[in-house]
Amino acid sequence: MTTLSPQRKRLDAGMLKRGGVLAALVVLAIALALLQSGSALVVWQSVVTGILTGGLYGLIAMGLTLIFGVLDIVNFAHGALLAVAMFLAFGVVQTTGLHPYLALVASVPVLFLIGAAVHRGLLSGSGGGSLENQLLITLGLSLLLENGLLLFFGAEPRSVKLPGEIQIPLFGAVVAGSRLYAFAGAILLGALLYWLLRRTRLGTAIRAVAANGPGAELVGINVRRLHTLTFAIGTACAGAAAVLAAPLISITPTLGAQFNITAFVVVVLGGMGNVVGALVGGLLIGLVEQLTTIFLNGQSSLLGVFVVFVLVLFLRPQGLFGRRA
Amino acid sequence: MAVRALVAVLSAGALLATAACGGSAPSGAAGAAAGRDEGPVKIGALHPVSGAFAVDGQQMRRGAELAVEQLNRNGGVAGRPVELITGDTQGKAEIGQSEAQRLIAEGAAGLVGTYQSAVSTNVAVVAERNKVPFVMDVTASDAIFTHGYRYSFRVQPGSTAIASAAAKYLKEVSARTGKEVRKVAFLHEQTDFGRGAAEGFTAAAAKLGIEVGPDISYDATTVSDLTAQLTQVKAAGADVLAVAGYYSDSLLVSRALASVKPDLDAVWGVSNGAYDQPKFVTDAGPGAELYFNTNYHYDATKPETVALREEYQRRYGAPMRTGAVLAYDAVQVIAQAVDRSGSTDPERVRDTISAQEVEPLTVGNGPISFDGKGDNRNAVPVLTQVQGGAIKQVYPPEIAESEPDYTVMWR
Repeated sequence: MTTLSPQRKRLDAGMLKRGGVLAALVVLAIALALLQSGSALVVWQSVVTGILTGGLYGLIAMGLTLIFGVLDIVNFAHGALLAVAMFLAFGVVQTTGLHPYLALVASVPVLFLIGAAVHRGLLSGSGGGSLENQLLITLGLSLLLENGLLLFFGAEPRSVKLPGEIQIPLFGAVVAGSRLYAFAGAILLGALLYWLLRRTRLGTAIRAVAANGPGAELVGINVRRLHTLTFAIGTACAGAAAVLAAPLISITPTLGAQFNITAFVVVVLGGMGNVVGALVGGLLIGLVEQLTTIFLNGQSSLLGVFVVFVLVLFLRPQGLFGRRA
Repeated sequence: MAVRALVAVLSAGALLATAACGGSAPSGAAGAAAGRDEGPVKIGALHPVSGAFAVDGQQMRRGAELAVEQLNRNGGVAGRPVELITGDTQGKAEIGQSEAQRLIAEGAAGLVGTYQSAVSTNVAVVAERNKVPFVMDVTASDAIFTHGYRYSFRVQPGSTAIASAAAKYLKEVSARTGKEVRKVAFLHEQTDFGRGAAEGFTAAAAKLGIEVGPDISYDATTVSDLTAQLTQVKAAGADVLAVAGYYSDSLLVSRALASVKPDLDAVWGVSNGAYDQPKFVTDAGPGAELYFNTNYHYDATKPETVALREEYQRRYGAPMRTGAVLAYDAVQVIAQAVDRSGSTDPERVRDTISAQEVEPLTVGNGPISFDGKGDNRNAVPVLTQVQGGAIKQVYPPEIAESEPDYTVMWR
């Protein structure tokens, strides 16, 4: 597991134990769901769907956790930036007729630049400042972006169709190809970020700044520039997530709100700043959501998610894979 | 430290998000008679023309505008020109309330609106207090008509009427094909709209000897996949899947259906927000073919409706939806009452509305005419089906453009 702290981390027994307990709890919940529903097929499909949508949540949460871990910024505009990237992807596909996934070529660099501009223009002044400032700035930005999209594109939902969508059977359950690609993309992006943070000079610098900003400054790292860079990378992750998720959902200016809260829960669950934790947290939330619908039909699936969220805050406030502050 | 701060921020965000939902008391009855007796006859239109429901809100305002233009081309009403004064509810109940107050203060002889039941509920209270007629175009909730209001009227069929008709049509259409329906799985979004549709349908179906189950609900604001729910439908062995949802989630249902392919005879929308929209056909592609929907609908067989839809398409470059036609009809209800009573006195307009009959463009079993509660007694829900990529009226037979096709595409 990568956290952003610079010192090497031993694979400690505690981590293994927690992983074991977690796995046991998941198996228990699945067994209970089986008892409740009485149909192995229904539960199996729920588990498959849960893992796949969980990958999507992890994908969206990764950029958020990176920004939080390094800059301590609770970026409420992440969902709105995701929406911007989706409209961008939609626009690219609509005007050029390219394959939807090729929109990555546009959305990742554009969102990177937007991220850099947002940080330079709006947030760098408040860096290290009070949390309320950042909250108001990012919340305001999200309102601005949402309403801007509404103004230019209208509220009409749009969809991006994947040419040659396939359905893959999986021991009785079915998986839409686009969902599997999004899941694979989440794992790939997680691995890429892990590699970036652990194996590159840039990653080392980012982790150094996260651990000790003034110290990093002293050894000659330009902290301000690195902050901007990290915010831009985090936002570019939203650009990648948007393209992979676009064929799965209806694109509306307000879709960010749909993912913001879930993404924040995933970030806390995975341990803030922990990229791989975000992926695991996402999977967990996806599973919890699906199993909740089996246990409590007629209730919001967010109910189960928040029960888990509160339990984690109570028992392990630093997150499942985070370390005690 | 960081966790505590984040939790504080999250709860602050949640507070901010819910703050917008708080209600506010109306500022008392404002000048009811402000210039009603001279100048143009003013009709107030309240719709959500900004915010998340703006697409439908704009459609409906344009429908009301087209009605007013037509009235003026024909010489106005009671010898006076007609003017549409408009308000934007933004989809929020308390804003709808204050906008209603403003339009009444500006001298509206009557109000039309509002698309959302929660907003209409608040506007009905303002209309009642100011004794100004309020003719609802789109408003599904039946609860508004349980308070004994005198000034509230509704053109569209209510949610119970639609759900009961959906069950009745299903019984009749399935019987004609020899694959008579026995068991219906009901999938619906979990707020009043979806739950109301499911309850109304289940009650009506029980009387017809149709079993409803499983009853599965989902949260339309957060759902991003419905594959597991449709696997439940498949495992339950239902003949027909009934769906009551909004646009995006109903589109997700069609995507999940295409992958799970349960062994169904038909997909049956109940007040469904997607399955009678031309846009659904383009978004869902061939997977949308042969989906049914029972809902309010414009009468596609009337030449006036056809002309209106052509004009709308030409002027605004988009297909006209039923909401716009309902707003058109609601304006006609008020205008003709003013014309017949020869007055804009709200009390006389109200009495005329409750007694008159107006020829509708929306489908009905006769003219628009209101019962004692204010509900349109001749409003009839229509069964539509996606056929060859177009939305066709298929039932009841008197208004059918084409025969219902009781098969599904994936078998």
